[in-house]
Amino acid sequence: MTKVVDAEAIRQAIERLPLFSPNALQLLQVIADPDHELEDVIRIVKFDSVLTMRVLKVVNSPVYGLVNEVTSIDRALSYLGERMVVSIAVQDNAGQLLNKPLEGYLGEQGALWRHDLFSAIASREVARYARGDFDLDLAFTGGLLHDIGKSIFSDFWKEVAQDALSQIDEGMVADYLMAEQDLAGLDHTEVGYRMARHWQMPEALQRVILHHHHPAEAPDWVQPLVYAVHLGDIVSMMAGCDTGSDGLQYHLDTGYREFFNLSPNALAEIVLNAQEEFSRARESLTN
Amino acid sequence: MSEIILGIGDYGASKTPGGRVKTFALGSCVAAILRDPRNGAVGMVHVALPDSSINEAKARQRPGYFADLGLPLLIQEMARLGSPDNGRGLVVKLVGGASIMDHNETFNIGKRNVLALKKHLWAYGLGPLAEDVGGNYSRTVSVFVDSGKVVVNCPGRGEWEV
Repeated sequence: MTKVVDAEAIRQAIERLPLFSPNALQLLQVIADPDHELEDVIRIVKFDSVLTMRVLKVVNSPVYGLVNEVTSIDRALSYLGERMVVSIAVQDNAGQLLNKPLEGYLGEQGALWRHDLFSAIASREVARYARGDFDLDLAFTGGLLHDIGKSIFSDFWKEVAQDALSQIDEGMVADYLMAEQDLAGLDHTEVGYRMARHWQMPEALQRVILHHHHPAEAPDWVQPLVYAVHLGDIVSMMAGCDTGSDGLQYHLDTGYREFFNLSPNALAEIVLNAQEEFSRARESLTN
Repeated sequence: MSEIILGIGDYGASKTPGGRVKTFALGSCVAAILRDPRNGAVGMVHVALPDSSINEAKARQRPGYFADLGLPLLIQEMARLGSPDNGRGLVVKLVGGASIMDHNETFNIGKRNVLALKKHLWAYGLGPLAEDVGGNYSRTVSVFVDSGKVVVNCPGRGEWEV
């Protein structure tokens, strides 16, 4: 008999989540606006003393090896880029969720944050190969948040997860997402989407979270972004930076070719660059 | 226990009694594992990409990242422990090289890594005695000095010997 997790209990868990700070939310909204400028981000950071302190701490961490201490937000942002500020804001607002062990996925503490950070960097690298204009930092932000649903879903999923891999291996379901739907009645993308709505995140980011395993189902206006994160997620899993038992148990949607020009060599460069930046970002955000 | 933990692009060898060499979460990366049955030395390299020509700077900085440079370096490391520097007589096992479901040629880095390692092994007159490669799951692998055993595990799939 198919077991179903308690959707109402998940709804209540989402309702109990603390909201993102107004500044962090505003930052995500600004990043999602294709017409925004760096000054818009600087203005938000300057009005948030905690964020300012964290940004300055990161830019002055030994990882970046700067000779002179950076004391202004303008310089820090021009050096770090918007993406590191987003990482800091997300870590500050959702760090507990992102760092907790994913028992349902047999993922150790910190696995979700590492996967999301790697996916963010890889999504941005993928976006460099876009056939048209692309907002690279929005791809990064989408990658950073795409699997947020696992943080809540995992607690419920652990009750029924043990049959997921055997279902996939026996061909009863197509992939891990289908196993979640079959065994639990809903999946981590849907839970993440509800969390993003609860947090009132920009629509583009909500769509990334909901459709990142099936990007063709996303509305046309956001499809390139969703495909970038779809591929960033896959690159992250290929690099061994997954969230546990579901690693690589998903399908590649080759519809990405419409939006990205990727050769085997391009993919190798993406893996190489993502790995290098991930090591640096992880260390600087940990210090 | 004396333990050498390898990250991506790292290589290492040991013949310390009770020791092991281990690497985590290979994904599409491949671990080439060597053992010298004459002196009990074991070694491993964690290769991420098949060919170093893609990025010369990175190749200089982290040669073990690439199959074409990592394998010779591991054989040199084994030689430092007393094994032949031409690799003769070494026992080889390959682990990793997984892929996403429905991958296309572009995304099949795992298979290209395995093929590249085999090609460079052939240049030494070597070939894998055993391999656990491909599939859609990431592997963590250890090789033990005392027994020479190669043990693989994967979240949700348990542990097995190659």
